[in-house]
Amino acid sequence: MNSKLQNRQSATLQNKMSECEKLVELLNSYAKSKDIPDDIKNDLRLVTEEIFVNIINYAYKSANTQSVDIEFNSNTESVSITFIDTGIAFNPITDCEKDIEKNDHCEGGMGIHLIMSLSDHQKYDRIGQRNVFTITKYYTKKQ
Amino acid sequence: MSLEIVISPEASSGKRISIAGSLDSNTAPDLQQSIDAEINDSVSTTIIDFKDLDFLSSAGLRVIFKTKKIMDGRGGKLLLVNLQPQIKKVFEIIKALDGMNVFKNQDEMDDYLTAMQNKVIDED
Repeated sequence: MNSKLQNRQSATLQNKMSECEKLVELLNSYAKSKDIPDDIKNDLRLVTEEIFVNIINYAYKSANTQSVDIEFNSNTESVSITFIDTGIAFNPITDCEKDIEKNDHCEGGMGIHLIMSLSDHQKYDRIGQRNVFTITKYYTKKQ
Repeated sequence: MSLEIVISPEASSGKRISIAGSLDSNTAPDLQQSIDAEINDSVSTTIIDFKDLDFLSSAGLRVIFKTKKIMDGRGGKLLLVNLQPQIKKVFEIIKALDGMNVFKNQDEMDDYLTAMQNKVIDED
């Protein structure tokens, strides 16, 4: 098997808060298999929960059961996690910024602030009917 | 991931909320419910003890800010004690420690409470 594929792992969760627990299990198992340091894993735990909750609360506002695909990727320098949902177009970076500017500890704003602070790179794309949001965290802080 | 919540009485109409485990999107409503039930108008000081808390997300932060707002509104105090490094980091990112009464440990908080108590006695 090629090494790129070996470093990739994916799973599908439902848009329910209770699935956060599975998300943590997925992250823990991926981190263990790739020897990802604990401090990086702990930051990623918070980042992934905030992204997942934002998808449930905003992209999938209409509460029926939907799915969220999650893909983990890593190399020697970094780990990336991609979230894919089929909810309404929702760019967490721009759609939540106004909350941060208001300096208000309200829904969404704090979550995205944590995501941006604890990951090194964030990328949002609307591809067809899907929101594709990827965060990357480097093992060593880039200067 | 679960959250254990223990609420116990403290001196001078205070309540201590000790939380252990994970304060996240799933468990934040449980903490909110406990606070709504236990922290009534007669409580002048609410202490949240983070000693055994391993994880805090924005959903948990919102419960803490809401509690602060309620305590401020009734002229009471919210004190945060024993924040572990990973929990303190979350508060720092949100820049939420300004205006909060945060204590490294029980001794530091006891000194503060004693000073507050003495201030009240002097004013009487």
